[in-house]
Amino acid sequence: MKTPLSSAGRQGTATILLIVFLLAAAAGLVGLKAATDRIVREELPGSSIIYIPSGKFLKYATFGFRGLAADLIYLWAIQYYSTPTIDDRFDHLDHIFAIINELDPRYQDPYEVGALIAVQEARNVGAAFAILDRGAANNSDQWIYPFNAGHIALMTIKDYALAETYFERTMKIPGAPDFVERLRANAIFKKGDLGTSWETWLDIYERAADERTKKIASNHLYNVKATIDRTALEAAVAAYRERFGRPPADLDALARTGLVREVPKDLDGKDYVYDPETGRVRTAISPWRR
Amino acid sequence: MKRIGAIAGITFKEAKRDRILYLLFFFAALGIVASRVLAILTVGDRVKIIKDVGLASIAVFGVLMAILIGTGLVYKEIDKKTIFTLLAKPLHRAEFILGKFLGLVLTLFVMTAAMTVIFLAIVYAHTLQVEGRLLVAVAYIFLELVLITAVAILFSSFSTPILSSLFALAFYLIGHLSWGLELIIKKMAPGTGRTLVRILYLVLPDLENFNFKTEVVHGLPIPPGIYVSSVLYGVCYTAFILGLAVLVFRRRDFV
Repeated sequence: MKTPLSSAGRQGTATILLIVFLLAAAAGLVGLKAATDRIVREELPGSSIIYIPSGKFLKYATFGFRGLAADLIYLWAIQYYSTPTIDDRFDHLDHIFAIINELDPRYQDPYEVGALIAVQEARNVGAAFAILDRGAANNSDQWIYPFNAGHIALMTIKDYALAETYFERTMKIPGAPDFVERLRANAIFKKGDLGTSWETWLDIYERAADERTKKIASNHLYNVKATIDRTALEAAVAAYRERFGRPPADLDALARTGLVREVPKDLDGKDYVYDPETGRVRTAISPWRR
Repeated sequence: MKRIGAIAGITFKEAKRDRILYLLFFFAALGIVASRVLAILTVGDRVKIIKDVGLASIAVFGVLMAILIGTGLVYKEIDKKTIFTLLAKPLHRAEFILGKFLGLVLTLFVMTAAMTVIFLAIVYAHTLQVEGRLLVAVAYIFLELVLITAVAILFSSFSTPILSSLFALAFYLIGHLSWGLELIIKKMAPGTGRTLVRILYLVLPDLENFNFKTEVVHGLPIPPGIYVSSVLYGVCYTAFILGLAVLVFRRRDFV
């Protein structure tokens, strides 16, 4: 005959057994999860990227959450491009960032970060320019995009004409910092257009509102003049050597023989230093330490 | 009016007791709070991610609340035969539909307000300022929820909750896709086909009219005229759907 006590006892035993079962099952699934994770599986990283459609079409499928979709793809892209084990991760860099830009054209971070990844990691300057050009087209009030493109042209690929174009574009955007016009003047100098460079630096010098800018412009003017003079003097030295079979003893010899009308002085009125052994002409002091 | 209020009050109490409401609210709150975690993964502006995820959580879970509760409202009354008790009283069927609608709208208002408080608190924790402009986006999300509620009630008045949910969800998806028809119209040659597509474009809901999330998150200017026209569009469309619901419900035979 069953007693209430024995029934309660059985219930207690069943509960304990159930708890033991649950604990065992929990331990089992945790162990299995860890074991499964240790098994190395074949991976095809990045292979699906090329199937991601253009942002133009993708935005129809976001059902009003274009900004959120752009965020999620951007977050994924950050993780994806910071995984060095994926060798071919940069193959579709511009495509990925074009999708983000199309979904949310006013989202600024992807333009800057995308261009940075393109230049620093992917070594794909073309992609960087494409991303920054899109940023500029979609955000005509933002000077940072043509500025960054100009900086890449100036520092990375050393295409000074391109840098000048980008910096000129930057200067036209309200809020662009003053130093951009100095970078443009420097790009013109490096391009080799010394005449325009002189005029540009002179204009900056004359319009400078503070002493620091005046000093910077003055140093550059000194450098431009020194470059013009040095080029002319070194050419005259070469002509002298050709005519007399030896280099001139000093620069005054160039004036005496009519190869130059007069020996120019630097912007500070000091003489240039001439080395008869090499035929090279230089300033007595560095333009940046005047 | 008093009778509509009474039905709305009962509907509000009924919805308050619905567990699914709290489950969805829990997930919405979780989504808003989890936006902070998601923001850690970004390079750059974290607040943008938080705002996007927060507003999306309010919109998505709000729509789910409207659909999942709204589609059962009228059906349950019919299924449990309580509709007979109600309609035996001096209550017009239109008053019944409007009461149900307003009761659920009130429920959604309370839920949206609660989600917004959590959202603004999370944004405040990052920016240390209350960004009132976010309320513009939330207000129009709420307007969208009101329209979806009307749609859910319309389908609930003649269909089962599962089918009604599917229909209402389809309405929501179409509403966010219909703006694409404009592109098709531009590409079509003038003629009957283009006229038909244009009519379709005008008749189909355009829920993008209530989508100011991008403008608010980026601080872009919103043309003042669109505030009024979007509200009027929402009110008109809701009134149209409710009218349709009343028409269908009046013709229903419960015997």
